[in-house]
Amino acid sequence: MVDERSEAFDRFVDTLLSGGRPSPDQVVDEEGPMAQLAAELSAAGDPHKGEPDAAFIEQLRLRMRDADAGIAAVQDWVLPGDVQLGRARITRRDLLRLGIGAAGGLAAAAAATAILRAGSREPIPSASESPSDGQLVGDGQWVEVASLADLPVGAALRFSTTALDGYVVNDAGTIRALSAVCTHQACTLIYRQVWHDLRCPCHGASFDLSGKLANGREGWAAGHGYLGDSAAYPLDLPPLARPRVRVLGDSVQVWTALA
Amino acid sequence: MARADRSANAIARFEAIYEQHVTAIHRFVYARVGNRPDAEDLTALVFMRAVEQLDVDRPAPQISAWLFRVAQNAVADYWRAFYRLPQVGVDHVAGAWEPAVPQVSPHADADADRAATAVRRLLVRLPEQYARVLELRFLNRLSVAETASRLGVSHGNAKVLQYRALRRAAALVDTDG
Repeated sequence: MVDERSEAFDRFVDTLLSGGRPSPDQVVDEEGPMAQLAAELSAAGDPHKGEPDAAFIEQLRLRMRDADAGIAAVQDWVLPGDVQLGRARITRRDLLRLGIGAAGGLAAAAAATAILRAGSREPIPSASESPSDGQLVGDGQWVEVASLADLPVGAALRFSTTALDGYVVNDAGTIRALSAVCTHQACTLIYRQVWHDLRCPCHGASFDLSGKLANGREGWAAGHGYLGDSAAYPLDLPPLARPRVRVLGDSVQVWTALA
Repeated sequence: MARADRSANAIARFEAIYEQHVTAIHRFVYARVGNRPDAEDLTALVFMRAVEQLDVDRPAPQISAWLFRVAQNAVADYWRAFYRLPQVGVDHVAGAWEPAVPQVSPHADADADRAATAVRRLLVRLPEQYARVLELRFLNRLSVAETASRLGVSHGNAKVLQYRALRRAAALVDTDG
């Protein structure tokens, strides 16, 4: 029997059948359809039928809560009176978190915006979180992750809380907090000060400091590409989770969801 | 306070949507990528996007349809980007055992039956040796050595058979499309 098979493709199948993550590098172009069929057959033969792992469901729930809490933090909005928020559901949650509608809410909202708005030169220490804020958000707490003195303009520090591995970054005076976990395959991102991004060492996704994928296909479609890259990152990735962040005196704190 | 109440409702609604759909979306994706790590990544991608973009005030059927559409695109992207397949993922073999409008919580047994039927339909169109090797390896989860012994061929020949069987089956699926 002529042995025309490829050793690499055999390894692809073996990885698949042992439940691991197979590598696309083991599959050459013309084997793509075979790889896809093998994946589907393997799924069909799995006695567990693709039932999700309970721990995975819980972790994703926490990631979503953190992301949701964070989306408020970096959004560019105009307050008050002329509230402009892009996304309907987040809008309601933002309003909730910032206590709008509750006494003192607008002051808290304005302070939060001042800290986080791009363009402000210095982070403004905020002591004006609405007292009702924490309890309205529910399960979570502020956790100190860095000292402001250790975070000069352009610097970034890694932090870990129970729910999130992240970076706090001083982006031209604006303190931002972002997840350090790539939304593709959960590799740990690297902060590149010069490039102003968080870069994934695994497959090369770059996220800007608002957490959005920065070197995706849109940039190439628009003709400007991404500095330093020769091709678009090929997938649409969801943005990085962004916990809320605040500065109290010298203390940089992020909001951390509890299990 | 009325607005705050609405927001609390929105949060609760989103979490309820997650509870209702996470299993079905994971199964849907898993049936198409065949491994848990990638299925978890793509499932996470679907729901992280939902955090950003899904309007929870839409009627339930639209929410389901939105989630499955995002999942389907994520799977198509996966095969296109990493395996350089031009236009796939919409209705491949796995599509044959999914309802046209995916149900929120499909009965697991019915699902498995559909899958088994689709696979049987494919296998009967293959030469017997090819069908056997795929059945033993993928459905019965036997090792190459065990498969070779069942088929009465050498270890090397079992691997060659597996490769040829996949190639032939992939060509069949392709011409169906």
